[in-house]
Amino acid sequence: MAPLSTVRVIELAGLAPGPFAGMLLSDLGATVLRIDRPDPFAHTDQAVPTKDLLARGKSSIALDLKLNSSRVLLKSLLATVVDVLIDPFRPGVLESLDLAPNTLLAANPRLIIARLTGFRRDGKYSSRAGHDINYLGVSGVLSQLGRKDQPPYPPANLMGDFAGGGLACAFGILTALYTRAMDGKGQVVEVNMVDGVSYLATMMRLGLNVPMWDQPRGENYFDGGCPWYDVYECMDGRYMAVGAVEPKFFEELLKGLELDVEWLSRRSDRTQWAPLRAELQVAFRKKTREQWEDIFDHKDACCSPVIDIGELKSQAYDQRHLVHFSKTPGVTLGQNAGWNAQTLAPGNGGERTLKDWMGWQIGKDFEVENGALVKLISSNSKL
Amino acid sequence: MSTITAQQQQQQQQQPPPLSGLHVLELAGLAPGPFTGLLLADYGASVLRIDRPAGLHPSVPTPDNLTRRKSSLALSLKSTRGLALFLHLVASTDILLDPYRPGVLEKLGLSPSTLLRINPRLIIARLTGFRRDGRYKDMAGHDINYIALAGVLAMLGRKDSKPYAPANLIGDFAGGGMTCFVGVLLALIHRGVSGQGQVVEANMVDGAAYLASMPRFAVQGPMWNAARGENVLDGGCPWYDTYETKDGGFVAVGCLEEKFYDAFVRGLGVGDELVQERMNRKNWDGLRRIFTERFKEKTRAEWEAVFDGTDACVTPVLGFDEMKKRGHKMRPVVDLSLSPGLAMHTNEKGQGEGIEGGGFEAKGLVPGVGGEKVLRDWLGLEKGTHYVVADDGGYELRDGSENKAKL
Repeated sequence: MAPLSTVRVIELAGLAPGPFAGMLLSDLGATVLRIDRPDPFAHTDQAVPTKDLLARGKSSIALDLKLNSSRVLLKSLLATVVDVLIDPFRPGVLESLDLAPNTLLAANPRLIIARLTGFRRDGKYSSRAGHDINYLGVSGVLSQLGRKDQPPYPPANLMGDFAGGGLACAFGILTALYTRAMDGKGQVVEVNMVDGVSYLATMMRLGLNVPMWDQPRGENYFDGGCPWYDVYECMDGRYMAVGAVEPKFFEELLKGLELDVEWLSRRSDRTQWAPLRAELQVAFRKKTREQWEDIFDHKDACCSPVIDIGELKSQAYDQRHLVHFSKTPGVTLGQNAGWNAQTLAPGNGGERTLKDWMGWQIGKDFEVENGALVKLISSNSKL
Repeated sequence: MSTITAQQQQQQQQQPPPLSGLHVLELAGLAPGPFTGLLLADYGASVLRIDRPAGLHPSVPTPDNLTRRKSSLALSLKSTRGLALFLHLVASTDILLDPYRPGVLEKLGLSPSTLLRINPRLIIARLTGFRRDGRYKDMAGHDINYIALAGVLAMLGRKDSKPYAPANLIGDFAGGGMTCFVGVLLALIHRGVSGQGQVVEANMVDGAAYLASMPRFAVQGPMWNAARGENVLDGGCPWYDTYETKDGGFVAVGCLEEKFYDAFVRGLGVGDELVQERMNRKNWDGLRRIFTERFKEKTRAEWEAVFDGTDACVTPVLGFDEMKKRGHKMRPVVDLSLSPGLAMHTNEKGQGEGIEGGGFEAKGLVPGVGGEKVLRDWLGLEKGTHYVVADDGGYELRDGSENKAKL
């Protein structure tokens, strides 16, 4: 059985980090209900999927959280059957909707409220808009990334949205679930991408006073400065990735490239890095990537192909779960789950979830009104 | 006056860090394994790093700098009595971190099935770079190799230049160390229900690929279907990039939404037709030139004064040195209201007094430091009575101590 198969999650709709945390929980067996905004076609066959690409395994209902009759439906769920609420809003938004954590925890002391922001919830940026690149910028991490003599380069939105944001949020939820199993109490879990990303860069930050990291951006061992830790273009325009950090692996690399093994004794001298890089560039251009793969596969030279997503897909590469468990594997993913986004239209599958969780039925316990569900007062719910 | 402040009240309700009481054996490695151990330690677990023997009185820390709150015990898994001591520890361990290549643990006679027989509650977290199966399984590699195979590296880098690896952040720490930690937490949750441990396997190829789910899905749409470095989030788009300022500093611009872009343009003080027609990709080179020139006209501090407090999604690119000088304090990744992790700095988020060096400096860990205390705390073992130190500095269980110690 998947490790979170009894866990019920409500995800307030957002983009990227919140949905990523929700997807991860869903892949691990949790039931995830996304709360969408009102939509004229919500809960009808004509509903169009939202932009969220990370809706795998989830269902949706549309609610108008500014409307008491709609909000009370959410409150009923949170007060009874829900284990985890994912809040991706800026600080204060939940409170302004009369959904303050204290109120929710008073109604359901077992609830885990995971709050995910970009900036810290305090300090000068707390109420500002921002995106991954901004969070990286004030975390100190972005200043370390990029080629020499070029502006800093953010690795798309991987570090903030997904690693320091979504993944960190999921681990916060798991930590709280673990605590709750012992004491029965829920709590508020707060994650922000600035601290998340800073923490991920702990080794880099703590290493800034040692030779590995003490040079300007793009001139260090792992940031593109070092010739044996970089990407090289092959004859066919494709690339090989080289990470030959240890001397013995570097020696294998030199041998495979048919370069002078004398470089081994000179490689730590930074004045030699430019000529060494030049030799590596020339050498890699002499063969195609495939030819280099034949040479370096099964050799300990830390030299492997750079494969793009199109190529992986055409090879029918199987995308897998984040983690493999011997006893509690995640849910089975469909064959194309790792390749194609599963999107979700407002209202899709959510009524079924309400029935499973609460025994509720449309017309009896709730109704669709102006593109959102509202709670019927007369309903004899098991609140 | 005995007024209890809200903060004190909150502290009184606080519980110990969530992983308090858990025993972790971390087989020494570099980067991802120690990072998992660091997360466990920061959330309250007792982490013992198992080092190789380093002589009788070692004084130099190993290169590992992710050692905060950890202890070390030096022992040789290849010596019979060293192995005996290790197995003794395993019996009292909740989590074992194995950072080795596939087969190494097995070769030492420590296959997961053997370990689980000794301690059925044990969670064995195994972390590799490549997948444990497939053509690269036995190959040496580093972060750059793993993210290259995950399809991630090919997505990163500037237009017309080769792919760029964002140091070792995505493989070693995000897709490796933190992912492994997530696996351990899940296994702990399961153990709470079933009483049983299990084997948790993480590898950085799948970890990195999973993190890149959204970009991978998005390559089918307009957001990400252009070549590397020509998309919205990969450096192609002029309003999602970094720019140099007059004083050689940098700002990060990320105003994706129209209303934020409008605020950005207002702050920048440029407003011709080109600036308004941002969605036409043909204008992107021109826009980039305008933004580049304009940002060079003021210092970073001046731009901060313009954009702070607005929703233009413009922030400074801060260096770690600068943050430290400004008194920035690092915090645990996740702040838990009831059972926070341990603080890195005094009077900052997290519980406890913080640690020397805070989140900015590390002393490292010398092999053997703190290990004897852990042997006493975990197992009640005493030097001389239960274990001895061999000539190479390796700790060994004394003959016949298997029964004396409380297994």
